[in-house]
Amino acid sequence: MTILEVDRLTRSFGALMAVAGVSFTIREGELVGLIGPNGAGKSTLYNLIAGAIAPTSGKIMFQNRSVAGWKPYHAARAGVARTFQIPKPYRKLSVVDNVALNALLHDKSMAAARRRAEAILADVGLADQAGNPSTILTVGELKRLEVARALALRPTLVLFDEIMAGLTRNEVMTMTTLVASLPARGITVIWVEHVLYAIMNAAPRIMVLHRGELIADDTPENLVKNPGVIQAYFGEETTFA
Amino acid sequence: MITFGQLVLSGLLIGCIYALMSMGLTLIFGVLRIVNFAHGEFLMIAMYGAWAVTAYLGLNPYVAILAVVPAMALFGVIVHKLVISPGVDKPHLVLVFATMGLSILMQNVALMFFSADLFDVPPMFGGQSVIVGPFFFKAELLLGFMITVFCTIGLRWTINSTYLGKAIRATVQDSEAAMLMGIPVPRIFMIAFASGSALVGLAACVMMPLFSVFPTVGLNFVLIAFVIVVLGGLGSIEGALLGGMCIGIVQSVSSYYIAPAYGQLFFFVLFLLVMIFRPEGLLGRRGEATVGIN
Amino acid sequence: MALTSKSTADTKPRPALPSRWWMKPGRGSVSWLELALLVLCMALVVAPVPHSYQDVIIVTLLWGGVAIAWNIAGGYAGLISFGHAAFFGIGAYTSTILLVNYGISPWLGLWLGGIIAAVFGVTLALIGTRLRGPFFILSTLAAAEVVRIGALNWTSLTGGAEGLWITPTPSIANMVFASRTAYVALVLGYAIFVYLVSKTIERSRYGLALFAVRDDEDAASAAGVNPLIARTWAMAASAFLTAIGGSLFAQYFQFLDPTHVVSPELSFQFALLAALGGLGTAIGPVLGAIAIMPLSELLRSYLGAAFQGLHLAIYGGFLVFVMLYLPGGIASALERPASRPRESP
Repeated sequence: MTILEVDRLTRSFGALMAVAGVSFTIREGELVGLIGPNGAGKSTLYNLIAGAIAPTSGKIMFQNRSVAGWKPYHAARAGVARTFQIPKPYRKLSVVDNVALNALLHDKSMAAARRRAEAILADVGLADQAGNPSTILTVGELKRLEVARALALRPTLVLFDEIMAGLTRNEVMTMTTLVASLPARGITVIWVEHVLYAIMNAAPRIMVLHRGELIADDTPENLVKNPGVIQAYFGEETTFA
Repeated sequence: MITFGQLVLSGLLIGCIYALMSMGLTLIFGVLRIVNFAHGEFLMIAMYGAWAVTAYLGLNPYVAILAVVPAMALFGVIVHKLVISPGVDKPHLVLVFATMGLSILMQNVALMFFSADLFDVPPMFGGQSVIVGPFFFKAELLLGFMITVFCTIGLRWTINSTYLGKAIRATVQDSEAAMLMGIPVPRIFMIAFASGSALVGLAACVMMPLFSVFPTVGLNFVLIAFVIVVLGGLGSIEGALLGGMCIGIVQSVSSYYIAPAYGQLFFFVLFLLVMIFRPEGLLGRRGEATVGIN
Repeated sequence: MALTSKSTADTKPRPALPSRWWMKPGRGSVSWLELALLVLCMALVVAPVPHSYQDVIIVTLLWGGVAIAWNIAGGYAGLISFGHAAFFGIGAYTSTILLVNYGISPWLGLWLGGIIAAVFGVTLALIGTRLRGPFFILSTLAAAEVVRIGALNWTSLTGGAEGLWITPTPSIANMVFASRTAYVALVLGYAIFVYLVSKTIERSRYGLALFAVRDDEDAASAAGVNPLIARTWAMAASAFLTAIGGSLFAQYFQFLDPTHVVSPELSFQFALLAALGGLGTAIGPVLGAIAIMPLSELLRSYLGAAFQGLHLAIYGGFLVFVMLYLPGGIASALERPASRPRESP
């Protein structure tokens, strides 16, 4: 069943078309990667889907409802969670409270929210930081906090934005396993990533964005042979993580 | 009809002088991204300075410019070093409260030294007015207007045609990038703050013949200054001029046709309307008020 | 299977974070310090101190209560307002007008004052919803000035510049008391009430959502919180409680005029007490009030006669110093020691 459908979605900023006529469909339970060189429009696409900005034209359908132009809190309540590429923790709150707030969307009491927050923190490996102020976390830990917050929303669709940055190789593997386990838990995943070895191995389907346009949407094996993709990555100077 | 014209023109002239007073505030905001809540008190002590030069040295307030402006610039350097630069990296409310504290300090120091009495300088040109067509204008008003215009032109030229001006514009656009390009941003901040202070000094000398000074005079004028800079667009010198002219006209016309008491009310309503519908003001940069400063 | 935060790359030891056991260990719980202060305040009610001291205590407690109320908007929601004197004045004038013109007891009148102030607060929050930083602050200043000038000129309602008097026929129903001790009890009750409201908000789900909106509006929005609604409620509560303080003030001082009751100076004071004491905590504004009000009264009585204005000059200088070098306020100085990374207030 289709969970997300995007049709000729466009967003321009003045003369710059950040997202130019992008169309794709995602079905429930999929794990879809989204890659592309810097400036391709991935964050803008996320902002459009998650309601942070409104499209210039085009449609976004979530669970067959037209949602273009909705607000982020509508999205969250409908079951769409996202992480931020540059982590945005609640600076004056502790680590567990950062996650507990998100948990409160569904949990009715502070105590229940905190318990669930602690469990999720354990899943991402931040359990021993729970009581600390969020300001002392390293960048890698902040990214994991972002993942925890997204999961706390009990989403049906989650948009991950470069969550691997700052993790060691082992941690990347473990996080990849976590992400790959989500579809089985009923969570559809879209995953923007620069750490390509992780995503190429884990995602059965990857979309490629370049200069606002969707230039490929295929399996990893086919993508590496796709001339357009190769040119997008090697034609401009891009380095792999 | 002539009355209306007189009101509009007088309003325009006094508005330009208000604008001169506000340019320092907008310059400081544009470059340092802080609102100096002690701005009115800077004006107040500069006015006392102008008065003192007049009363004790027998010079007229316009000549006092030569003393007051450099003194205010120096004062600005000192305040910047002691109060502003420790607070620039901190959240903006630190400097909001710190400049407020400074304002209280300055008001009361003035009270201690000068008492609460009103001080004036004697009228310069024998109280005569200049006649232009069917209109009368106080000579001091016209002189103040001309000084404002020259000053604005001078500022414009400095910002556009000198290296310093370019450095300032770079700092305004992105202070971190400017620092990476070798621009001594902390020094630019100091120069901007000191210049803002000097501008206030100039305004004080021009205003002294027209207004009395007393320790809390700053409070009256600072609110006008805030309205002007917001209307014109925080950070824009021409905006301050435009904003000042609007405010001067609004005050002049509404005081006459409605009631003097309500004159002030109109500013604030105007201010709030600007905040609701166009918070960046007439010439300000879009998004600044809504997306946030930091 | 699960990740840990101790990876091979992580060799840097975590800084120790001891907390002082008598300060609040976490958000929303009561500490020994707070209990001690409560006992102290209650003792002050019954202690036989001279009238002049009682005046200081009354003003300290009342201003402290209003500062706590201010903090709900300023510290909890991040809505720094320099216009709270408008709410204070609305409360004071509403209950006073109802008492003087219609004989309605201030015990009832203060609720109406609170409601009217809350409506103003909501309006202010809606007007300023897109504004950030100094723009919002200036809007509150302008709005308060509009209220002040309105009060000054609407002479038929407010008595204009000549003000309103409350003729003191002492009775509980009129909330006019012959003894100052009763007033001390009254304002202490108010301060405790506002404090409890503040604490309750702090530990509630709403409070957490409000803090999140304050700390990062976009992230909070993405978490399902509507920032506008969260902030508007905070402003409404803050305005409501501030107005009640205004009503109590009117009953104590028995004279109101717009220049003193709806003044920017008053607005600054409320904000300052909260900022000095510590913005994000319920106890902060109390600490600020306790630190500043007696000090400023003391300075005034010892120095005010000698050099008019010296006490306030010292006050101002002190403020500058504290704000620059202790931005988290007194509460932050009492909390965790310097091993905690430098935090913003």
